[in-house]
Amino acid sequence: MASVEFKHIEKIYPGNVHTVKDFNLKINDGEFIVFLGPSGCGKSTTLRMLAGLEDISGGEILINNKVVNDLEPIERDIAMVFQSYALYPHMSVYQNIAFALKLAGLSKSEIEEKVRPVADMLQLTPLLDRKPRALSGGQRQRVAMGRAMVRTPEVFLFDEPLSNLDAKLRNSMRTEIKTLHKKIKKTTIYVTHDQVEAMTLADRIVILRDGKVEQVGTPREIYHSPANKFVAGFIGSPAMNFIPVELAKDEGWHVDIAGQKLNLLGDVDDNQTDTKATLGIRPCDIHITPDLLTNPLVIKGTVENLELLGSTIQLTSRLGDSQITVEAPSSHMVNEDEVTNFYIDESRLHLFSDQTGLSMYKPNAVLE
Amino acid sequence: MFAMRKIRWGKYIFLMLVAGFVLVPMFATVLGGFKSLGELRTNPFGLPDVWEFEYYAQVFADGSIWLLMKNSLIIAFFSVLLTLIIGTMTAFTFSHIKFAGYKYIYNYFLIGMMFPAAAAILPLFLKIRDLGLLDSLSGVVIPQVAFGLGFSILLFRSFFEQLPSELFDAARVDGCSYIKFYWHVILPLSTPILATVGVFVLVASWNNYLLPLLVLNTEQQYPWTLGIMQYRGEYGIEWNRILAYVTVTITPAIVFFLFAQKYIVEGLTGGAVKG
Ligand SMILES: Nc1ncnc2c1ncn2[C@@H]1O[C@H](COP(=O)(O)OP(=O)(O)OP(=O)(O)O)[C@@H](O)[C@H]1O
Ligand SMILES: [Mg+2]
Repeated sequence: MASVEFKHIEKIYPGNVHTVKDFNLKINDGEFIVFLGPSGCGKSTTLRMLAGLEDISGGEILINNKVVNDLEPIERDIAMVFQSYALYPHMSVYQNIAFALKLAGLSKSEIEEKVRPVADMLQLTPLLDRKPRALSGGQRQRVAMGRAMVRTPEVFLFDEPLSNLDAKLRNSMRTEIKTLHKKIKKTTIYVTHDQVEAMTLADRIVILRDGKVEQVGTPREIYHSPANKFVAGFIGSPAMNFIPVELAKDEGWHVDIAGQKLNLLGDVDDNQTDTKATLGIRPCDIHITPDLLTNPLVIKGTVENLELLGSTIQLTSRLGDSQITVEAPSSHMVNEDEVTNFYIDESRLHLFSDQTGLSMYKPNAVLE
Repeated sequence: MFAMRKIRWGKYIFLMLVAGFVLVPMFATVLGGFKSLGELRTNPFGLPDVWEFEYYAQVFADGSIWLLMKNSLIIAFFSVLLTLIIGTMTAFTFSHIKFAGYKYIYNYFLIGMMFPAAAAILPLFLKIRDLGLLDSLSGVVIPQVAFGLGFSILLFRSFFEQLPSELFDAARVDGCSYIKFYWHVILPLSTPILATVGVFVLVASWNNYLLPLLVLNTEQQYPWTLGIMQYRGEYGIEWNRILAYVTVTITPAIVFFLFAQKYIVEGLTGGAVKG
């Protein structure tokens, strides 16, 4: 049973590179946490500080309510899977998995007793005598996981464990990791910059940018109620459309787009004095048929570019001065250069202050 | 196409010339031991007309060569051993631990590389004398290790730094201290570079003449390089005996080289391909 807590964690690399800034997070026992963010935002650094591989410049890290700042990695009861797998090239699969146990001074038979079930679970048993260079990428990945699991640590750390694999293998390994976590229920922290991995694996996602936490929440929260413009633009593919708007109020709050009034039916943050804002609409919330929508806003536009992606089509058009992307089922018939109606779902709008970038609007129908 | 073939032939000819420079004297030496003096004078390079085994037999019969070889072997063995142990440990420290002033200390070691032993004869002699190591094998071993250290640390360090840093991270998470990492991971992965440095040090030690001359006085301690000078003194004009003697003495170095060669080739190309 292990909880993990970061309290005001800072990391400053030599040369005054301030990589992690006031990082705070409490992770419950058994939770699957994903750190997600663009390259260089400090995900690995934070993870490595928790692992004990990197000095902590400020703040405290607690595992099971015990400060671990000055403990060696081995004393923290963690195991880590590295991006490059970092298998020992001169050892067989068996020796790789057994190495930590051997260092811990276990007897040969005890080691064997622990390695066998792990190898079975990861389907490595037929490969135990091979050297890492004679393994495929996916097999190496599993050895790296086996090496972490055999120690039965309290906390599992993964640093982009799947980024060296091809797309297909990545999907199956992702499922495998998910299944494993369900089975052994250990606290897990997983670093990635792949949002699909984050959305599918996480109990909660931590979005990082430039060493700062932008939002912490369940995948649903992050997707449906992004806390700020960065998160909104980072999550979701294709990316959310951003349209600069002027905020106005008569009977209720509304914005004008392409000469039409778009009513904001939810709660607008009244404290905002700024009337300049950015409207955010996800490509899948702009429809090309009014089906299933109650009282949508209808806007005429020309289809400028159309791409068939398989089950969906993706097209670009114009809304006032801004270009927008629309995603629709590919069963719909539209052609390039055609003028068509776009139906905007008023219950799925996002609005961000231009001053702070923070979300300033809560639609009535929030899907949690 | 034609030009390509020409270049290829040019390469072969060049390589054969180079190989010839090494091999012709070597064969002449080996074969010279089988020739009579007269034949040696008229036919220095060819195969002997009459194979005479007595000169080789005499070299072995004269028991002194065993003692000389034994001394050479002891000196070489400890030089290699100490250079490898001290060199890898120092290089490991420099590649993994960043402490205050490590750059200066590292460069201090490297300066040793630019220093020809011959130029340091006098201070070296005084130092060895002060340490009370004159006329002992360690008086030869220790300076040899010192002179070889700069170059071996350079090679070891660049090799260690090519090892992925995540390997060390993984080992730490598995519970390795620096020492354990050095012992369980670094050393087993370093066989190519160990063999490379080992051969260089061994050959240099085996052929070293100046240092033993400086340090050793009693014949009991002489390595073969000093022994051969005496032998030559005895049989000054009998070149066939001397050639036989030389052949016998360089054989161990060649055998060791052939044995280590497979690792050396691996060592020089090892980092080239991503594995
Ligand atoms: N040893 C170091 N010295 C100085 N700066 C460093 C060091 N290690 C990392 N950094 C910097 O810290 C920042 C964060 O690095 P980090 O490895 O944590 O990024 P990341 O979020 O894991 O990115 P990626 O997705 O590319 O792995 C980067 O800008 C990097 O240049
Ligand atoms: Mg990283």
